[in-house]
Amino acid sequence: MALAMLLKLSLRNVVLYRRRNAFLLIAISFAVGGVTVSNALIRGWQNDMLEMAVANLTGHIKVQAPGFVDDPSLANSLTLALPPILPGDARLYQGWAARIRLPAVVMSERATRGAQLVGIDPQQEAISFYRDLSIQGRGLAGVEDRSLLIGAALADALETKVDRRVVIMVQGADGRTREMGYRVAGIYDAPGELVEKMFIFTGLEALQQRAAGQRPLISELSIVLHEESNRLSVLQAVQEAYPDTDVRDWQALEPQFAELYNIVDSVMLIWFLLTMTALAFGLVNTLIAAVMERVRELGMLRALGMGRGFVVLQVVIESVCIMSIGVALGLLLGVFGVWLLADGIDLTAFSDGLEGWGIRARLVPLLAVEDLVGYGLMSVLIGFIASFFPARRAVKISPLMAMNR
Amino acid sequence: MKQVVVRCQGLCRTYQQGSVPVHALQSVDLEIAEGEFTSLSGPSGSGKSTLLNIIGGLDKFDQGRVSVGGVELGGLRESQLSALRLAKIGFVFQAYNLIPVLSALENVAFILQLQGVGKREQRVRAEQMLADLGLADMLHRRPGELSGGQQQRVAIARAMVTNPVLLLADEPTANLDSQTTAELLSLMRDLNESKGMTIVTATHDPLVIAYTSRQVGLIDGRISSDD
Repeated sequence: MALAMLLKLSLRNVVLYRRRNAFLLIAISFAVGGVTVSNALIRGWQNDMLEMAVANLTGHIKVQAPGFVDDPSLANSLTLALPPILPGDARLYQGWAARIRLPAVVMSERATRGAQLVGIDPQQEAISFYRDLSIQGRGLAGVEDRSLLIGAALADALETKVDRRVVIMVQGADGRTREMGYRVAGIYDAPGELVEKMFIFTGLEALQQRAAGQRPLISELSIVLHEESNRLSVLQAVQEAYPDTDVRDWQALEPQFAELYNIVDSVMLIWFLLTMTALAFGLVNTLIAAVMERVRELGMLRALGMGRGFVVLQVVIESVCIMSIGVALGLLLGVFGVWLLADGIDLTAFSDGLEGWGIRARLVPLLAVEDLVGYGLMSVLIGFIASFFPARRAVKISPLMAMNR
Repeated sequence: MKQVVVRCQGLCRTYQQGSVPVHALQSVDLEIAEGEFTSLSGPSGSGKSTLLNIIGGLDKFDQGRVSVGGVELGGLRESQLSALRLAKIGFVFQAYNLIPVLSALENVAFILQLQGVGKREQRVRAEQMLADLGLADMLHRRPGELSGGQQQRVAIARAMVTNPVLLLADEPTANLDSQTTAELLSLMRDLNESKGMTIVTATHDPLVIAYTSRQVGLIDGRISSDD
């Protein structure tokens, strides 16, 4: 009951000293709003990293033959029943794709380059970046398509064009080198040059016929989930479902992205704590000034018989009220800022350099509800801790001294 | 025989002003019985406010003994003194010292809330006390909307609402004009006579002294007269 009165008293004091509190609220809101926007951009970057890592033909989980990672040849390939029987609830899975991936040397009349020749079923590739490619010429018609789709950067390097012929050298299932002639059906534009230079696509069955002696071999089964949060549980289930294979998740297959991805949470927390610590010092300072301004009133309350605990509680409640209002305004400001940046920040000019960091040409902020709740609660907690210093100052002064000020 | 509410024996209080000791109270012996309306008067520095503050448990003393309502103040911890003030002593200050963000009713009820009195009872007692002091129409006004005399009456209501054994008033009329002072003093005398409230006030105002039933004079920290 006394708590209700203290809360009422605190809220009214917030209004009474509105000018001073307004400055405090502005400082808190801008700090919280700024952190919300900057962390939404970092979260967007993290999401880009995840999507790039997953869409980059990796998937959340990949089933490969044992030894393929060390020696990516047809000698280390699989024969799986397709479509695969994936364990657990079918709603966990966004899709899957079976592929052959072979290290290859591609030669035009003018140049020679190394790349990866990937045999795909274009329909299954709705789970990879293939789905969003912008293609000059035409895409692959199906699994039997014997033509090639190459990246624009590789086409430039090879000085080749659509409808020109190139020769590709790969190691066949029998261990012998095979030279295969292909016509370039299309040239694709991908978000980054690395991808354009790395992947050459052809039909899955066409490649099986030419390089695997018509055997239904595949190098990998790539699986994409709806939710990253289910990755570890599904990984375990798939490992149990395919016991004689090498099943890994994207964090194991793309360790550099995984490292960056995992460090982002720490970066966000450090950035948040740095900002809020700076704010906390300002908050303590202002609250001390506010308490000193009201030291006579607080002294009078103690003279009337209010215990030290109640005085501390009153200062703390008041500080938490201010902090809560400031945090709420700050979060609104942050959400508004993120809304203004909803179309993303155009980083095209730096896209080649940023690609290696998992950042796309357009950085789109991502606002997570759990982040907002986390910032809100942590900010109020910081305000709560910070308020104990002025509260301590308030009760250190004797009621008599306070009233004689 | 009336009970003794305040008993001071050999009370001494010395302040250090730089390196110079100032003897604010020197061997003060004083007994105030239940129902007395006592003034502590004297020139500035005579020790009247120091004595009032010590009786109220707001200041320490160096030697002697003080008891209020039968409770010895010597050796009590700060929290025990707070509890004593809340339970047994009502304060009226020169500057009213009302909580500016609370209405007259809330200011009076606030002290009951600290005592843990139920919400309904708080309201009934606070309304009744304010009505008794002629403030029935001003329950919901905040201190800033009241005159000085009205604010001081709210302060008296706040001090009285807990039914304390002792009401201490430090220069309660210092900020009031003569007419309001006379009204307020009449009110305090009525409270003293009708409710038997023990009141001790520190003052140097002859008008206040004239209203009290017992006048204790102090000079240089010693009691110089007691009529």
